[in-house]
Amino acid sequence: MQRLLYALRQELIAPSRNPRTAVVIGRLLGAAFVICFLTGLYSHFIQDPLPGMHFLTRPVWLYQVTQGVHITTGILCFPLIFAKLYAIYPLLFQTPPVKGFLHLLERASITLFVASSLVEIVIGLLNTYQWYKLFPFPFRQTHYALAFIIIGSLAIHIGVKLPIITRYWRKKDAYDESGEVRELPAPVDPQAHLPLPDVGIGITSRIFAWIDKAPAPRQPRVSRRGFIATVGIGAATVVGLTVGQSARPFDFANVFAPRKAGTGPNALPVNRTASAAKVLESAMSPDWRLTVRSGEVAKSFSRAELEALPQYEVELPIACVEGWSQLASWKGPGVKDLMDAVGANHGSYVRATSLEQGSIYAVTEMEPEFARDDLTLVALEVDGQTLDIDHGYPARLIAPARPGVLQTKWLSKIEAI
Amino acid sequence: MAVRRWRIGLLIAGILLLGLGAVVLLQEVNPKHYVGILSWFVGALIIHDGIIAPAVFGVSLAFRRAQHRVPAVVIAIVQGALVVGGIIALIVVPEILKKSIGTLSSSILPQNYALHLVIFYIVLAALTAIAIVIYLRVFASRQKLRSSSDQA
Repeated sequence: MQRLLYALRQELIAPSRNPRTAVVIGRLLGAAFVICFLTGLYSHFIQDPLPGMHFLTRPVWLYQVTQGVHITTGILCFPLIFAKLYAIYPLLFQTPPVKGFLHLLERASITLFVASSLVEIVIGLLNTYQWYKLFPFPFRQTHYALAFIIIGSLAIHIGVKLPIITRYWRKKDAYDESGEVRELPAPVDPQAHLPLPDVGIGITSRIFAWIDKAPAPRQPRVSRRGFIATVGIGAATVVGLTVGQSARPFDFANVFAPRKAGTGPNALPVNRTASAAKVLESAMSPDWRLTVRSGEVAKSFSRAELEALPQYEVELPIACVEGWSQLASWKGPGVKDLMDAVGANHGSYVRATSLEQGSIYAVTEMEPEFARDDLTLVALEVDGQTLDIDHGYPARLIAPARPGVLQTKWLSKIEAI
Repeated sequence: MAVRRWRIGLLIAGILLLGLGAVVLLQEVNPKHYVGILSWFVGALIIHDGIIAPAVFGVSLAFRRAQHRVPAVVIAIVQGALVVGGIIALIVVPEILKKSIGTLSSSILPQNYALHLVIFYIVLAALTAIAIVIYLRVFASRQKLRSSSDQA
């Protein structure tokens, strides 16, 4: 077994599999993970704030950018993580598999790190087009918990590998004059004396004999540079062909993203339809009223009455947790004015209730900084048209720098709390 | 010494974050789902370490055996194109599958991903061919230069 592992590891050696490429790809992947973690935390807490948390309302595109970066960086992790795993694959067959308790812990932590990273980016990607049925677990909570496990494992991994990372951080320290990777000043491989399996005995031996007929690469530099160039081109390709869903200037190249600007009713993408939210009847009812309440004071407004109030027109992006976003022009009365009409305290939070059925987002809360913002509206129109029912007709919230899932559609009540 | 301090700091921070992750998992995810998460972990490792990585190794081995006849740079270009094509497939094929199953909103997966993938592969093949032709021309002219300077 030991000989087999050693032989496997020897066969997997390639010029592009060396500590320097592992460090080069590893630091990019590490940075990508940290970016995803921080932007993910922002998205998590703006949806589920801890008591006393407050958020920036400017720039209005803040959430559009943080979440666009979150999703795009997550997509970028695919080529990077495969490259990183490629660079270190021979280590999977290290012998002896476990050298002691600490080594066991290290290998266990790497296994956890690799598995949770792969699962995290895959479920993240599948979530952007709502393929929840594949998961035997709740997406959001699992994605959130795994994020801490990944960043914790990353910190441990960097801690364990720090001597290698510092040794190979700079190119000039990593290669000698002839372009060969400088070896770590480590003891000679203790298994190096082990004979490789003999040819002619058993299937494994035959496989190794066949592999050995393949000559070692003649030009290690070509192999290494080709590897780095491939990772670069792969990364640029996956990002270039999807980032248009989050950044309009690149919309022309968006051929693979799960969303496309300009599609859907009102030429704006829709996440949750009126049909899925079961509001087709209630939202179209002539009896619909928006109730505005603060304590004992309550007023109700028909759509015509809302239209008769001072109207504001604001340019705000609708920016989804799934990474897509699109700028639109919204028109309607200000939330601030409506709350003033019922004498709400300026410091109060606002709770918005939707006609929507069976969703945890049917009731959302808004911090005072958003509720008092001049740009926060009860929108009745988008881009000069009446709101489509899929966009929240008869009325929806729109506020700057908030995720789309909190821009409550099919409003029935807003109240100061 | 500084490295040692950083290592200890990172290890402690890592262990604390892992602990926090465990607490968040316990609080947020019902334990009945843990088997599901674990099965995804195992599945991810099997798919990567047991299927994708050996397949990549097999393909690279086949290329290594071809290097008697083909210049290393040409092999690198073709391998690179295969890898880029493979990664795009990993991202796009699930979209095609999900689109065929159906989505709750017409603006989720609104594009013709299968057609786009075919076009992408045609463009990738063309670019790969162009890159190889350019390399071979440059390579051939360099060889000529070298052989003529040898003669001189």
